[in-house]
Amino acid sequence: MLSLMPSNIKLILCAALLVLTAASCEEEFIDRDPVYSIDSENYFNSESDYYNALIAAYDLLQPSYLNVMLGEIASDNTLAGGESANDVIGIQQVDDMIHTPVNDQLDNIWDWMFAGVNRASFLLEFQDKIDFEGKAQLLAEARFLRAYYNFELVKWFGPIPLKETRFSLGDETSIPRSPVSAVYDFIEADLMAAISELAVTAPQVGRVSRGAAQALLGKVHLYQEEYTDAARLLQEVINSGNYRLTDDYDQIFELAGEHGPGSVFEVEYTDAEGAGFGCLQCSEGNVAVGFNGIRNYTGPLFDGGFSFNVPVQEVYDAFAPGDGRRDVAILNIDAWAEETGASFGIGFEHTGFYNRKYIARKGDSNIGDQNLTNPNNYRSIRYADVLLMAAEALNATGQDEQARDYLNQVRRRAFGDMDHDISASGDALRDFILAERRLELVGEGHRFFDLVRTGRAAAAIDGFTTGKHELFPIPFQEIQFSNGNWTQNPGY
Amino acid sequence: MPRFILFVVLLGANFGLFAQSFPLSGTVLDAESGDPLIGASVIVDEAVESGTLRGTVTDIDGSFQLADITTGTVLRITYTGFVPTTVTVASAEPLTISLGTDVQALDEVVVIGYGTQRKRSVTGAVSTVDSETIDELKPVKIEQALQGTVAGVNVTTQSGAPGAGLNIRIRGVATNGQNAPLVIIDGYQGDLSTVNPSDVATITVLKDAQAAVYGTIGANGVILITTKTGERNQPTQLRYNTYYGTQETSRSLNQLNATEYALLLNEAYAAGGQALPFPDASGLGFGTDYQDEVFENAPILSHDLTASGGSDKMTYSIGGSYLDQDGIIGGDKAGFSRATGRVALGVDLASRLKLSTNAIFTNISRRSLSEGGLGSVLFNALNAPPTLPLRDADGAFSLVPSTPGLGIEVINPAAQIANTFNDYTLNKLNGQATLDYSVVDGLTLTGRVGFNTSNSESRNFNKRLSYGGKVFDVTRSSVNQNRINDNNYSLDLYGTYVKTLGGNHNLTATLGTTVYRELGDGLFATGFDVPNNDFEFADLSLATGTSPEGARDVGSYSYDERRLSYFGRVQYDYAERYFLTAMLRRDASTKFGPENRTAYFPSFTAGWIALDGERLSGNSPIDLLKLRISYGILGNDQILNNGYIGTLSGEATYVFDGILVNGTAIGALPNPALQWEEAKKFNTGFDLNLLDYRVTITADYFVNTRDKLLISNIPVSGIVGTAAPGAAAPTVNAGAVRNSGLEFAINYRQRINSDWRVNLSYNFATLDNEVLEVNNGTGFIEGGGFGVGQLAPSRMEVGLPIGYFYGYQTDGIFQTAGEIEGAPSQTALGAAAQPGDLRYVDVNGDGVIDPNDRTYLGDPIADLTMGFNAQVEFRRFDFTAYAFASLGSEIVRNYERALSDVNRLDYYLQRWTGLGSTDEVPRVTTAATANQVFSDFYVEDGSFLRLQTVTLGYTLPLAIGKRDNSSLRLYFSGNNLLTVSNYLGYDPGASSGAPIGGGIDFGFYPIARSFLVGANLSL
Repeated sequence: MLSLMPSNIKLILCAALLVLTAASCEEEFIDRDPVYSIDSENYFNSESDYYNALIAAYDLLQPSYLNVMLGEIASDNTLAGGESANDVIGIQQVDDMIHTPVNDQLDNIWDWMFAGVNRASFLLEFQDKIDFEGKAQLLAEARFLRAYYNFELVKWFGPIPLKETRFSLGDETSIPRSPVSAVYDFIEADLMAAISELAVTAPQVGRVSRGAAQALLGKVHLYQEEYTDAARLLQEVINSGNYRLTDDYDQIFELAGEHGPGSVFEVEYTDAEGAGFGCLQCSEGNVAVGFNGIRNYTGPLFDGGFSFNVPVQEVYDAFAPGDGRRDVAILNIDAWAEETGASFGIGFEHTGFYNRKYIARKGDSNIGDQNLTNPNNYRSIRYADVLLMAAEALNATGQDEQARDYLNQVRRRAFGDMDHDISASGDALRDFILAERRLELVGEGHRFFDLVRTGRAAAAIDGFTTGKHELFPIPFQEIQFSNGNWTQNPGY
Repeated sequence: MPRFILFVVLLGANFGLFAQSFPLSGTVLDAESGDPLIGASVIVDEAVESGTLRGTVTDIDGSFQLADITTGTVLRITYTGFVPTTVTVASAEPLTISLGTDVQALDEVVVIGYGTQRKRSVTGAVSTVDSETIDELKPVKIEQALQGTVAGVNVTTQSGAPGAGLNIRIRGVATNGQNAPLVIIDGYQGDLSTVNPSDVATITVLKDAQAAVYGTIGANGVILITTKTGERNQPTQLRYNTYYGTQETSRSLNQLNATEYALLLNEAYAAGGQALPFPDASGLGFGTDYQDEVFENAPILSHDLTASGGSDKMTYSIGGSYLDQDGIIGGDKAGFSRATGRVALGVDLASRLKLSTNAIFTNISRRSLSEGGLGSVLFNALNAPPTLPLRDADGAFSLVPSTPGLGIEVINPAAQIANTFNDYTLNKLNGQATLDYSVVDGLTLTGRVGFNTSNSESRNFNKRLSYGGKVFDVTRSSVNQNRINDNNYSLDLYGTYVKTLGGNHNLTATLGTTVYRELGDGLFATGFDVPNNDFEFADLSLATGTSPEGARDVGSYSYDERRLSYFGRVQYDYAERYFLTAMLRRDASTKFGPENRTAYFPSFTAGWIALDGERLSGNSPIDLLKLRISYGILGNDQILNNGYIGTLSGEATYVFDGILVNGTAIGALPNPALQWEEAKKFNTGFDLNLLDYRVTITADYFVNTRDKLLISNIPVSGIVGTAAPGAAAPTVNAGAVRNSGLEFAINYRQRINSDWRVNLSYNFATLDNEVLEVNNGTGFIEGGGFGVGQLAPSRMEVGLPIGYFYGYQTDGIFQTAGEIEGAPSQTALGAAAQPGDLRYVDVNGDGVIDPNDRTYLGDPIADLTMGFNAQVEFRRFDFTAYAFASLGSEIVRNYERALSDVNRLDYYLQRWTGLGSTDEVPRVTTAATANQVFSDFYVEDGSFLRLQTVTLGYTLPLAIGKRDNSSLRLYFSGNNLLTVSNYLGYDPGASSGAPIGGGIDFGFYPIARSFLVGANLSL
């Protein structure tokens, strides 16, 4: 047997010393605190902690640019466009209604909206930790935001998992996709709680007001065809006297028109801080604006972009003569080039039209990336939208006179006269209201969902399959992650 | 070893004794060939009282003179590669001393981590590269000395730009995370990228479980660097090496000239139903060759100077070096310079206490150009239209028009170079001090402090400029600056006990501890509105503009990571024939979660000298046969810090009241169970020496299985919010990869006669990589990028090599409309097929071509790599050649922008133009096609053979004053003279190094071909 020589006292001593001195300090040495970091589970110790977490919950509104853009492209209003048939294949596929569960952009919408849900839930999870004056307002805003994100998710994907606190890893295998009705109940509960606490006037520009929460709840009811509730809530907004139609439709979409009298809720963007293609959700600018922009543009007023989301001739032609909205909403690039001497490029699926409401304007500082950092706020809920939704709800509950009044308010602004007032009733009036929604809101991301909820999508959209395309597929990998807990939407 | 005994022949048998001193002369010869040995040390072995050492070195004829010698004086003669010997002077007659070749193969000492071992006793897979090889290769960076010289070590360039990083992979890619090996410089953890190659004495590579003494940091293999020290009892020796040369690109791609380009464009436009862009293409000529415009001949210059020597109580080595290299693109805009200073001392403080210490100071300056992606200089050079003159009529750089066919992402590359302004400086001090205390005979205690401290600063100026509506336009000038401070230190304390029991039982036991800590921080800031829009004023002090309110123009980070390790090793052999080593290491690391903070890493190696020349009958050609086997478990801890803690490190920025507001949000999700990757390494092999040690063969077979792969940001369900800005999924131990292969190295060296000496070596390594497990729900992880907005082209997936290419398989070209009718629809890929388009294979057989038809298209891992090295000496001439080959890898051509008007490679001249014209290259058209999706059309064979270095040298005798032993060698050398490959791109040997997505070529900056003239002066 070979062993250390027991007689060698020196050796034993040295070895023992070596181990002992080192062992005693292991605990101290290794259990160091991470440098300059805050533990997420020991937060919410002051008012500012809640406020800071609320900012985080607002942050995910910005990536909803994709919902707006793709909601338009999916509809009959626009084509995907871009550089080539393979430029952002996910967008191209949605345009052609050939999208599958493998689609990066749909995956983004799922991921980003759930990220918003989770950030709002983080705040709500710790709502009882401390008390301070004004906490109710902050929590109400968080509830509104969670409702906003969940509403997007239910519009795009139908049944989704629900949880009062943050989702944690493993929930995807245990929490089922709640039926749409339960999702709406959850959204309504959040919004009702929010409405009761929200200030009528938001504490800062960009934060949510009571009117915005009411309008969203009205919209949520409208989507469920709960017309009485919808009409009540939307009329509360209308009758509050806090909003009116901006006099000139053209002013709404320029920088100066942000938060005008007709603005109920906007998603805030800035040209002050950008991001790269690796993290589009990180941009503080409106990414859709660069994507929508005119390809290879040189000329006045506008900046260039990637020529996605190009309006089709049919929607351009849908505007009646004298409708001032057409040339505000849709840029006829050939006419514009002829008028101003501007030059432009021809992208994929070039139609000759651009989504003028949301293309880049000159003079923005576009810090970061000029195409990803445009400051154009998304006018998420406009007063005209509220009027038209109210009109739709009232028409559905037989209150055509009030419905016509709201509709004609919108039309009078569009035409600048009362000669184009609608006098129809009943289903004919409904058709007029829905047609008006398309024209008033073209380019704003509502069209696809309006077509779906009114059952008109199959007739309007090429390739649309009833019973399938009302919902988008759950991302392929989510179905895999759920390990059998979730099933794919029908038809995919 | 009777064949190699020393001959001391005393000539002139005059035995008359003289009491007084006399001058002595003599000659030192090679016993085998009888040639004189030039530069052998002849030292008078006497008590050093005055502190000066007496001795000399042999001159060109092998002769020496010494004054003041008496009979009985003992001379010690040493010469590298020969057995050192001593001679007692018997008379004043000239001496002839013959030295036998050193059979160093066995007595050579190999560094194995926390100690050394005689080569004969090594039972792990250990390879070494000595300083002679490094001298021959003259690598600008030390990593290059491992390419082709060590079987199983593959070195790829990230770029040919001066100072660019290199990737070292020992026995393949084992993880989707960090695959770089551990680097130990003189016993402490260091960094290869800043090492001056001429400071390196040996590089030792631990490839198998031999590395297990490094526990949780050893899984990727270990590279041990020993820096140069002086030799005892040697007079001061000065060595000066220099070379100067010119570099040029090793490759230019064959592109279309202006006329070809115009005609091809016309064809494409016509096919797309558009007006011809060049109705008259005559007179366009060759146009502008943008590759020519960006590539240039660039100088490279190197000096290094070392003084070394020693007395019987101390050794010293002092050196300095300077390297200056311009880029083959951009010249000094891509310049790299490195200056180093080094001091190494070894001192016997007392008879039982030895100190060895060294310190190295490094200064690196570097400037760089955009490279390796869309928007890089080369990417622009390849895509800019040849019809565009370099400069316009006013002499300004032409703007690439923002037409649809050219897009907004291609700019004039020469303008891009001119408008790039940046600099980077690194100052680094590293070193170590080691105390060896011989407590009693057989027991040595070693204490060591090693440290690295480095500070870097960099500056990047974004000039306000316009390329005419391109994405690179800058509307507001700015300067980004940063300061980064990285430090680490390690403390080693270990004891080594050596004992021989009962004559044949030899035991070496090592027990010790290592404390390691790294800490540092970085500061970043941006200033806007640089005065005069000029680099000269680009500093935060002058650029006082800020971002709009609320935006942060500053940033910082800091870290503090620690590791505490204990290790023990027992090496036992019986009669130096049977060897057994067992090791155990315990690591506690801040990298791991509280649930798994400590880890144990056991390993063993064993060897048997089955045949030993001394015991064999006289005529056996075999000198030695050693069989080896090893198995061990090692770890990899190279993951992001604090992965087990949920921190508020996410991004939370929004806009209130029209200005940016910053809040707090959750960053990466924590994984409290986070632990190390586990590498199970099995190796078996043999070492065989033949024909009087002229032939050395080493062969190894290995199987390395990496379990519990640390997958950072592992894809998880989006419902947990990991897609939020600044958030990320947790790092999870969720995969396994296996690498196996065979390594073989053979070396033949012989002194043929007094004129000729040859040394030939060849090695190869095979590698078989397979992913065994990806436990993330989907069974695969995607990565890499191809084209614009396309699906990820690379995957890690069970049953396939890591990072394999995943896309559409093609089956030639559709020749007729009839063929298309009968084929599955390709519309889902972008457009319905037309004759002349690529025909894709319906892999899943569902009747349509869609993303579900993507499949394996190859992988970037070479199946076989080989190195071949030859050194031949003829009289005063020496010749060296090193070649390297890599076979069986694939590489993706991704430097072609899929736009209609960009320039193309000339293989498009063989495009499809009609029925039967080709079955390879699709038609050109401006209309939508599905030809641009990632398919095997873009995947090429990346096999290559490269002649890395060829050197021809001549050694001159040189007499300077009394130092008549000096020599001067002059040489010519060519690097990367020839690369044989079918690859269309610049460099088949380049890789980003990413485990998933490596081998996708965005226009890798080609390595330089260089021609050098150099001199080695020894005094």
